[in-house]
Amino acid sequence: MIHVDNLTKRFADLRQGSVLALDHVSFDVQPGEIFGLLGPNGAGKTTCLRILSTVLKPSGGKALVAGHNVATEPAKVRSVIGFMSANTGLYDRMTAWEMVEYFGRLYGLPEEKLQPRLEEVFQMLQMNEIRDVLGGKMSTGMKQKVSIARTIVHDPPVLIFDEPTSGLDVLVARAVLKTIHTLRDQGKCIIFSTHIMREVEKLCDRVAIIYKGRILANGSVGELEQLYHEPDMEELFFDLISRHEALMAAERA
Amino acid sequence: MTWKNIKLVFMREVRDQLRDRRTLFMIAILPLLLYPALGIGMLYMTMLFSEQPRTVVILGADSLPEPELVNGNQFADRWFSSPTVADKLIVYTDRGTEENARQGTVDADSTSNAPITEYTVESGKLLKEAKILQEKYLHLQQLEHTEFSELMKQHQDVPGRASDATIKKAISQFTVSPKIFQARQEFSLLFAESQIQVLILIPEGFKQQIHMINQGLADGTLQIEDAPQPLRPIILQNSADEKSSIAFHRVQDAILTWERELLAERLSQAGLPATLHTPVNVQTVDLALEDQIAANLWSKLFPALMIIMAVTGAFYPAIDLGAGEKERGTMETLLISPATRTEIVLGKFFTVFVFSVSTALLNLCCLGLTGKYMVSMTGGGAFSQIGDVALPSGSSVAWLLILLIPLATLFSALCLALATFARSSKEGQYYLTPLLMVSVGMTMFCLSPAVEIKPFFSIMPVMGVALLLKGLLLDPTSTELTWYALPVLLTSFAYGLLALWWAIEQFNSEEVLFREAERFELRLWFKHLLRDKEATPSFSEAGVCFVLIMMLQFGAFKFLGDAFQHATAETRDILMLRMLIIQQLVIIGSPAAFMGLILTKSVRQTFLVRMPHPWMIGAAVVLPFVLNPLSVELSMRLSWFFPPLPEGAQEALSAMSAESTPIWLALLAFALAPALCEEIAFRGFILSGFNRTGRIGLAISLSSLTFGLMHMIPQQVFNAMLLGLVLGLLAIRSGSILPSIIFHFLFNGLEVVKARYGEAIANSSSATLFITSTEDGMHYTGLTLFLSGLIATLILKRLIFTDSATFVEHDVAADDVAGKSTDVMSPSVTQ
Repeated sequence: MIHVDNLTKRFADLRQGSVLALDHVSFDVQPGEIFGLLGPNGAGKTTCLRILSTVLKPSGGKALVAGHNVATEPAKVRSVIGFMSANTGLYDRMTAWEMVEYFGRLYGLPEEKLQPRLEEVFQMLQMNEIRDVLGGKMSTGMKQKVSIARTIVHDPPVLIFDEPTSGLDVLVARAVLKTIHTLRDQGKCIIFSTHIMREVEKLCDRVAIIYKGRILANGSVGELEQLYHEPDMEELFFDLISRHEALMAAERA
Repeated sequence: MTWKNIKLVFMREVRDQLRDRRTLFMIAILPLLLYPALGIGMLYMTMLFSEQPRTVVILGADSLPEPELVNGNQFADRWFSSPTVADKLIVYTDRGTEENARQGTVDADSTSNAPITEYTVESGKLLKEAKILQEKYLHLQQLEHTEFSELMKQHQDVPGRASDATIKKAISQFTVSPKIFQARQEFSLLFAESQIQVLILIPEGFKQQIHMINQGLADGTLQIEDAPQPLRPIILQNSADEKSSIAFHRVQDAILTWERELLAERLSQAGLPATLHTPVNVQTVDLALEDQIAANLWSKLFPALMIIMAVTGAFYPAIDLGAGEKERGTMETLLISPATRTEIVLGKFFTVFVFSVSTALLNLCCLGLTGKYMVSMTGGGAFSQIGDVALPSGSSVAWLLILLIPLATLFSALCLALATFARSSKEGQYYLTPLLMVSVGMTMFCLSPAVEIKPFFSIMPVMGVALLLKGLLLDPTSTELTWYALPVLLTSFAYGLLALWWAIEQFNSEEVLFREAERFELRLWFKHLLRDKEATPSFSEAGVCFVLIMMLQFGAFKFLGDAFQHATAETRDILMLRMLIIQQLVIIGSPAAFMGLILTKSVRQTFLVRMPHPWMIGAAVVLPFVLNPLSVELSMRLSWFFPPLPEGAQEALSAMSAESTPIWLALLAFALAPALCEEIAFRGFILSGFNRTGRIGLAISLSSLTFGLMHMIPQQVFNAMLLGLVLGLLAIRSGSILPSIIFHFLFNGLEVVKARYGEAIANSSSATLFITSTEDGMHYTGLTLFLSGLIATLILKRLIFTDSATFVEHDVAADDVAGKSTDVMSPSVTQ
C-alpha cells in the first residue's frame, strides 16, 4: 500500500547550511497494519510524512501511496489518504459539522452519501454534542476529535497520523489510540509517528527507528528486541542512537 | 482543475470572512459610518470655527483722502467683495487720538459713562507700538538713503542730475552694508514681536496732495514735469507669518478697490471717461454647465478613492486568507485536501476580489451621497456656483464598474501573493504600506490636471485605469477615450493575470508555505551567504544585483549631470562618451562581476565562460544584421506610442553621430563597453540566477525585463526587452556568453556606423536596393525588411526549437576540456 524507496529530502537552513532531513529512507506498509515511525524531535518524521501527503516534494528517491507516485500524481495520492498532524488545524469560525462537511465535499463525496457518512462519523467518534460548536471555542480534545473526523470522512484506505497524541491529556490520547486501533481492524493501512515508546509497544505492528534522517532499525517490536538482545524498547532506542552517534563521530574523525 | 472545488473554497472563505467581525467592520461598517461621520465633523468645525480678527494699525489716518477707507474700527464694507471679510480685520487708527486721550483721562477721573472699552485700551497700547515701529522704519529708510546716495556720488561723473544709466549701475552695485543688515534684522524682529499684523503708514499731506493733483488735472494747470514727487503710503507686513500674510492680502484687496474709486473720481473731475485706465477691458464668459462642474469634482475624487479602497478592501481579507491561515495552522489541512494549489488560490482570489470590489463600491457610494448631501446643505463656500451636485451619470457609473474589475483583479492577486509570502499576519501587515504608497503615488500623478491618458500611459498598470476613469467621468461620451478602453482593459487584465500567476507560484513553493518564522540574524545570514556558496547565483541574488544596478544608476544621475554642466560645448560630445564608458564599467559591469566573484563558487558557470559551438557564433554574427532593420522599422512604426525622448538622451544620440568624436571612441562607448558590461551583468550573473528556477522561458523573460528596465527611457526599454529575449536565448542555448557579446557589439556597432555614415551609404548608387534616403534620414527598403525577416525567423526558429543540449555538452566535460568543446560537438550539428 505504501512503498518508500530511498527517499531523500534536503533543506536550506540559515544556521547550518544545507541540511539532509531525510537520508535514503526506505520502508513498506501493508493494509491492515500500523507502521510506527519512532524518533526524537527533528529526526525527520514530519518531513517524511509530509512528503507522503504530497505537501513537500522529495529531493530524491521514490514514494508510492496506493500505487500512485507522490511526486507525479499528487492529486490522486491526496484523494486516497487521510492525514492528521499537530499542524493540521481547524478553522476558528466554522462549526465541527461544517468543517467535516466542507472536507467531505472537497474529497468529492456526493451529497446524498455525504450526510449519512457525516452522521456515521459523528456517531462513531461520539461528537454529536459538539456539532455546532465553533472551532475557536473547542477544547484540545474536541479539536482532536474533529481532526480525526476530518481525516476519515472520505473513508480513505491509507491513514497517516503525525504525532496525533502530542499535547493531549491521558484520557483523550487513549481515545485517539483506540480509534486508530479500530481503524486498523477495518483493514486500513496506517502510518503513525511518535516519540513515545509506550504507544509504539502498544499499538504498532511494525516500527522503524528514525534518527537524523536515517532509519536505524526496522521490524516488529518483537523482532527488534530479539535482534538487539534488549527486551526494553526504551533501552533499545537509546542504545541504537548512541551507537549511531559513535559511528558518525568515527566517520568524522 | 474543477470549478466545483474553486467554488467550495470560495464559498467557505466568503462565509468565513463574513463571520469575522474585523473584516465586516473594515469593509461594510466603516464606509457606512465614516463618510457621514466626516460630514458631521465638518459641520461641527464650520460651526465652531470662527476666524480670529487680525490687527491692522493705520498711522496718519487723518491724511487719508475721501472716500472713507476706514469706518470706525473696521475697513468700510464696500471695499470687500464679501462684507463679512471686513469683520476679520480690526483697524486701529490714530485719528483724533489726542482728543480721545484727553477725554479718556477726564472720563477715567470721573468714572462716569463713556466707559473705557477694551478697544480703547488696546488701541493705546498698539498705537504706542506702532509709533515706535514707524520711527524705526523711517530711521532705517534714512540710513539706506544716505548710503545709496553716497554710492551715487561715487558713480556720478558729472555733477548734477544722475543719468538713468548711473542709477542702474549704482543699484546693481549696491550691497547691503552690515550696519543696514543689522538694522533691518532688528526691525523685522521688532515687528514680529509686536501685536500688529499689518501696519499702514500714511505720509503727512497725502490727502492734500491727492486733492491738489485732482484739482490740477481738472483745471489743466498741472504740468507733468513739475508735478511733485508723489507721496506713497507704506504697508508693512511679514509674509513668513501666516496671520500677517492673510491680513495683508485682505488689506491689499480693500486698498485696491479703494484706489480704483479714487481714480474714478479723479477722472470724472478731469472730465475723462471712467474707462480710461482699462483700454483692453476683457470680458470672460464661463461656459461650464452645472453637471460639468459636478463631473469635474467626481473625476478628481473617484479614481483616487477607488484605487485606495480597492487596495484596502483586498488587503485585509488577503492577509487573513494567506498569512492568517498559515499562522492558525489550517494551511496544511487545506493543502492535503484533494483540491489542487491552483484551485485553492483561485477560490481565495475570488474571495479577495469580491471584497475588494465591494469595499471600493461601498466607499464610492457613501462618499458620493454624503458629498452631495453636504454640498446641497451648506450651499455656500467654494461650491456656491454648483448649487446642487448631480451624481455621476449612468454611463459614468457603468465605466466605473467596468474599470474597477481589472483594477480589483490586479490588487487582489497582488495582495494574495504578498500575503502568502508573509510568514505571519504581522509580517503581512508590513507589506501594506509600500503597496499603498506606490498606488497612492501613481494616483497622485494621475490627479494632476495636466496629465491625460496617452497611448503609453494606457498600458501602465493602475495609471491607465485611473487616467481613463478620470477622463470618462468628465466626459462619458467621448469616443476618443472609449478607444483607450480596449488597451487599458487588456493590459490591466494581463497584469492581473500575471499577479495571479505569481500568487499561484507562491502557493506551489514549499519554502514559502513552510518557512518558519526563524530568528533572523544579519551576521548569520552573511555567514550563510559566504559559506553556502553555490555554483551559480540564486534567484534572489540575481534580483539584488538588478536592484543594485538600478540604485547605482539613480545615484549617478546627479553626478553625471553635474560633470556635464561644467563641460564646454566642444568637449561635451567626447565627455559624454567617456561618461558612458565609465557608467558601463562602474555601474553595470563591476557590481555583477563582484557579486559573481564573492557569492558564487564557479565564476565559469555563472558568467558562462566557455567556447560556444561554431553554429552559435555564426548565428550571433548574422542575427544583428537582420534584426537591426526590423528593430529600426518597428520603433519607427511605434514612435507615436511613446512619450518624446528626453533632452539628455537626444544629446547622447547626437554624440554618437557627431563628426568631432573619433569613430573608435564612439564604437568603444556605444558598442564594446555595453556589449561586455551589460552581458556580464544581464546574461551572466542575472540570467544564471534566474535560470536556477529551472524554467528557461521564465529566466529569459525576467532577464530581458530587467535588461529593458535598466534603459530607463520607454522606447529603449521596449527595444531592449525585445533584444534581451534574443540575447538571453543565445546565451542559454549556447551555454556561453560569447555569442551574446558578439551580437550586442555588432548590433550597437551597426547603429553607430549607421548614424555616422548612413547618409553616405544611402546615397551611393549600389545600395539603393536595400536602403533609401528620405528627408527624415535613412530607411530600409521593403526588400531588406522581407529578407531580414525571413533569415531572422529561420535562425530564431532553430534557436527556440532546438534543445540546449544540442549545442552544449555536459558540464563536467565543459569544465575539463573547455577548449576542445568545438571538436567534440561537431558531429551533432549535421542534423
